[in-house]
Amino acid sequence: MASNAAAPFWRSAGMTYITYSNLCANLVRNCLKEPYKSEALTREKVHYTISKWADGKPQKPNQMI
Amino acid sequence: MAMAALRREGRRFATPLISPNPANVFRSSLIPSEEPVLSGVRCISTQVVRNRMKSVKNIQKITKAMKMVAASKLRAIQTRAENSRGLWQPFTALLGDTPSIDVKKNVIVTISADKGLCGGINSTSVKISRAMHKLNSGPDKENKYVVLGEKAKAQLVRDSKKDIELVMTELQKNPLNYTQVSVMADDILKNVEFDALRIVYNKFQSVVSFLPTVSTVLSPEVPKLKDLVVHYVSFYSESGGKLGDLDLYEIEGAETKAEVLQNLTEFQFSCMMYNAVLENATSEQGARMSAMDSSSRNAGDMLDRLTLTYNRTRQASITTELIEIISGASALEG
Amino acid sequence: MFRHGSRFLSRASTMRWRRPFSTDLPAEAYKDSNFVEAWRKAIPTVEPPSTPSAFMATRPATPSSIPSKLTVNFVLPYSSELSGKEVDMVIIPATTGQMGVLPGHVATIAELKPGILSIHEGNDVSKYFVSGGFAYVHANSFADIIAVEAVPLDLIDPNLVQKGLTDFTQKLSTASTDVEKAEAQIGVDVHSALNAALTG
Repeated sequence: MASNAAAPFWRSAGMTYITYSNLCANLVRNCLKEPYKSEALTREKVHYTISKWADGKPQKPNQMI
Repeated sequence: MAMAALRREGRRFATPLISPNPANVFRSSLIPSEEPVLSGVRCISTQVVRNRMKSVKNIQKITKAMKMVAASKLRAIQTRAENSRGLWQPFTALLGDTPSIDVKKNVIVTISADKGLCGGINSTSVKISRAMHKLNSGPDKENKYVVLGEKAKAQLVRDSKKDIELVMTELQKNPLNYTQVSVMADDILKNVEFDALRIVYNKFQSVVSFLPTVSTVLSPEVPKLKDLVVHYVSFYSESGGKLGDLDLYEIEGAETKAEVLQNLTEFQFSCMMYNAVLENATSEQGARMSAMDSSSRNAGDMLDRLTLTYNRTRQASITTELIEIISGASALEG
Repeated sequence: MFRHGSRFLSRASTMRWRRPFSTDLPAEAYKDSNFVEAWRKAIPTVEPPSTPSAFMATRPATPSSIPSKLTVNFVLPYSSELSGKEVDMVIIPATTGQMGVLPGHVATIAELKPGILSIHEGNDVSKYFVSGGFAYVHANSFADIIAVEAVPLDLIDPNLVQKGLTDFTQKLSTASTDVEKAEAQIGVDVHSALNAALTG
């Protein structure tokens, strides 16, 4: 469909395989019946803080929730 | 929270140790000294010893509670770590295990805990990471650190500030899960250039043994990848871990082999990371449990010794008083 | 360790053909002797760390005749659904189409797309919906299937699938940026696969 000859459409949109597979997995989880749905969704919560360092100094940290 | 309380307790009983005179009362119980404790000095205050006993008791309570918490956390996370062990094996079976590969850009992913009081696992991670850095250093080579966890950050900042590329913390606010770790892996892939990623972590063996481990993930662009895999095959097929040359595999999926290989290595990294983070978290809880166990035992021992000193001092003063009363009475009679 | 390494080298050359006939397990875990050696030279004070292959479960070499069963490892991040289970056939949703794997299948690396994975064991067929991942079929009739998420079919809510499908089809038509388009496209793909799995 949207794919070019070389790369799949999601990679041309700047996604990595990890992002792609996580998106797919999350969509599948969203289609589960309750209570499996909320169970699966609470299991997979994302939270961490990331900060890029340059020249030995931390840049502004980012929180991922 | 518990740690702050522990520090507070530590300070509280550290002060009488430094203050000159009354400290002798209990210091003598630990280190034999010439100060006569049992010679019936009447005005020795047993108050100091009693305070000390109280604070040791409190410390013991805290360490016991921390041990309980660590034990229950350990149970939860250990099952998850064991479940995740199936995840990386197919990748190692397919792509091999290549710790000795010599590439230009190395990225060392150091996995540690956010919190301390868990034995030596954080310093082990850092020590191995530094060693990996040294092992792979050389002219026109690049080594960078990606640090997970506050503790490794605090140690690496001291001497390798310049080489730190990314720092990730607060991993364990929610229970660890694949989505979270893979998003982190994604962030690493996007922000760092690498030829080889080396994940350094403590593999959980049992509550008392943690094996420092290095997993290597190669970039799909490494031209040597194929040679290495072949070398690895001739080496490893004997023990039955590796089954064939990567070239012998038919590729189903995208149009080009390079593309599948790229997807594969990305997926491999996130799976390897997931297992590594879980193993390290399990080791952390295990180490904390045994550390807290031994410190509550130590606190118990100390409490025993203090109780002994306390009772002796009390008995000594009672005896002295009795002797005085009796001798006073007999002096009156005589 | 180094001694082991050298023993390994000699064995690799001389015992190549004896291994398939012996029944004993490999005596020691694999260690990359180059790595251990280099490590000892550079950092003599620290013990060399382990590497993943030391913890690998061993796998048998390729047998000369095709075995009657396929050994399947089906793993998810949070559980091992099947581990070393012997089955008759698995059907894998590869990106190029459904792929049936029987014992003796040619060694393959397959990327998975959202679709049905079915495992045939005698007359029993268990079906999972997998969201994506990879499958490797090795020459010794071992198959490793790694999925990010897999659920039994009866746990899927058909109403939610329909709703998702219409939602994402609409999103696809209104999406403006590349990323939005790709996300909507993934949504449509996954939901139509789910739909096909439920109806078909």
